[in-house]
Amino acid sequence: MRLSFWPAFNYMTEVVSENSEVTVLLVDDNPQNLKVLYETLKDQDYRLLIANEGEKALDLARRHQPEVILLDIMMPEMDGYEVCERLKADPETADCAVVFLSALDDLQAKVKGFSLGGADYISKPFQSQEVIARVKTHARVIRLERELQARNRELRSDQARILNSISEGIYGLDEHGTIEFANPAAAVIMRCPVEDLIGRNFFETHFSTAVECPAGLPARATCSQGVIENQRDIRMLRADRTGFPAEYRSTPKYDGDELRGAVVVFRDITAELESERALEEARELVQEQRHQLAHTSRLTTMGEMAAGVAHEVNQPLTAITNYARVAKRMMSAESPNLGLLQETLDKIEAQSHRASEIIRRIRRFMKKPATGKEVLSVSALLEDTRQFAEVDARNNEGAIELVVPEDLPDILADPIQVQQVALNLIRNALEATRSAGSELPVEVSAGMTDKGCVRVEVRDHGIGLAEDAEEKLFLPFYTTKDEGMGIGLPTCRSLIQAQGGEIGFERPEDGGARFFFTLPVAGGTASCLSTDENTSEVD
Amino acid sequence: MTDIQQTVYVVEDDEAVRDSLELLLKSDGKPVKTYESALAFLKDYSESMAGCIVLDIRMPGMDGMELQKKLNEKHSILPIIFVTGHGDVPMAVDAMKEGAVDFIQKPYREEALLEKIEAALAQDMEQRKTLDEKQEIIRRIKSLTPREHEIMDRMIEGQANKVIAIELEISQRTVEIHRSRVMHKMGTHSLAHLVRMVLSVKNLIDAK
Repeated sequence: MRLSFWPAFNYMTEVVSENSEVTVLLVDDNPQNLKVLYETLKDQDYRLLIANEGEKALDLARRHQPEVILLDIMMPEMDGYEVCERLKADPETADCAVVFLSALDDLQAKVKGFSLGGADYISKPFQSQEVIARVKTHARVIRLERELQARNRELRSDQARILNSISEGIYGLDEHGTIEFANPAAAVIMRCPVEDLIGRNFFETHFSTAVECPAGLPARATCSQGVIENQRDIRMLRADRTGFPAEYRSTPKYDGDELRGAVVVFRDITAELESERALEEARELVQEQRHQLAHTSRLTTMGEMAAGVAHEVNQPLTAITNYARVAKRMMSAESPNLGLLQETLDKIEAQSHRASEIIRRIRRFMKKPATGKEVLSVSALLEDTRQFAEVDARNNEGAIELVVPEDLPDILADPIQVQQVALNLIRNALEATRSAGSELPVEVSAGMTDKGCVRVEVRDHGIGLAEDAEEKLFLPFYTTKDEGMGIGLPTCRSLIQAQGGEIGFERPEDGGARFFFTLPVAGGTASCLSTDENTSEVD
Repeated sequence: MTDIQQTVYVVEDDEAVRDSLELLLKSDGKPVKTYESALAFLKDYSESMAGCIVLDIRMPGMDGMELQKKLNEKHSILPIIFVTGHGDVPMAVDAMKEGAVDFIQKPYREEALLEKIEAALAQDMEQRKTLDEKQEIIRRIKSLTPREHEIMDRMIEGQANKVIAIELEISQRTVEIHRSRVMHKMGTHSLAHLVRMVLSVKNLIDAK
């Protein structure tokens, strides 16, 4: 049977209506019927295919995956049922909507059609409105279904790509800890193919203590109670029983309300720990060198103060010698005055304490390394420093005046390092005062900043500071002294910064210089960094 | 005049050293007066002070060296024993050049210090005695009449009575009378002694 009434009509050739998205295949052995169907649907913006027998219909369907197939049941050679069966059997064409066309209007035929996977049924003779409406409905359903499937496929492949490319190992565990899923990274970390991991018990495979104490194992509580876990530096075993440090996070896996095991994300942190250790070592080295430098600076200071220190120790020794001789004389008298003798011996004792106090102070100052942070009384610390500095005051023929308010709160700092800084500033101030030939004392005072930190000031009436002091003063090896090494102030700065304070200087209007440093109050803020624009901060 | 009371003046800023030194010297039977600063001593200073100064070279404010200079300006003859610390030897040497008697390094042995103090006191006594003698000579010279003074100058130059008589156009007898008065007023019988006395005070008289 051939179509002859329509020259352009060529079976096996699709007739394309432009911009069509939906393809509809019309199958009927009766050219008249085909023509009617064609005429009915041609203005509906479908891509229409036609076939006049089963084999051709199958061939077109495979090649073009039409959304809707209008299929005549009664056809010679291969009837519509068989075509439908074969369409549904082929995955390529299984999803298309088959709408049977038949004059048969009996229930049996319809049931058979549906049982073979048919989607719908249109009785002949067609009502064109009905045909249009049904095709439209089915086309839309199939279209949406296909889009949904395409989207699902896309998602599945995205997920797979993500799971494959992620560098962390991922396990899906059931509630007993059996590995149901493992990504490729897990296989790399565990040195074991994915398929060998799946089915094994997570706890027994990766933890040596799984047999004796399984309760506290990582992810156990997640599998059994739905508790989220996150731990670092856990020792995990590989399939070959070698161990490595791991960090893992386990989250419960639910199916509705029901706990279905856990997802464990883990990674090997060997390299991470290694670089952390290296960083820590580097930090310790810097700290050690800072302490070394501070100690060297203290030794230098003590070297410079040696003559003064010797003088300072000689004073009590001289007094002791004198008193001892006086005591001996008293005892050689016929009836020694015991009261006076007692008094003299007391004086000897006091002087011996004085000498040992000087030595104690020096020894503590020279001690290495520093002792660490303590809660300190500012006034006691500064008074001790003043006494220490008076060795220098004597050499420089200057005086030191100390003013600390009684209600000043204690600070949290390293006593030796703070004393080192204070001593350095006081000695500089004394030297500046002497160079200027001034008689005015060096003023040491303490108070509070508006940031709640303690601020210690050392003010001198010396020659003042050079114009470029801001740039140079705290630079290593910069010095204005003939015998200076230029490590004093840079060391002071690093020491004060390490205590969470800052150091700087100001030029008082009536001459001289004022150096200051700030330190955190015990139990207060840990840092004293300010942004006061009026001061010459050194950062 | 020579029976003057000698005192050891201790100038020392360190209270313990000052106190112990005072006790020590007192127990040795010496009068002691202590000062806590160079300035305090300078305020108290007078020419009539006799004895010696035990002076700490290193003190806040005015130091020992400065006090020595001020005392030199005042023509003080009080001997000074400098007390020095470790490493102050160069300073001590300078002090010696400025006329200090001695120096002693802290901490010192009592014997050494007492020895030095004894020596200083003896020197002070000697200087004071000499000074007293000289002042007596000057007093005697001042008691001479202008004529007697003129005759004495010529006697010291070694001029014979005859020469003096001719040059002054007076009689030899008159010269002899003046000469005898000079010898009497100057309290000597020997021309050699007279010459020595006058020469010993020559610089003092010239200074005036």
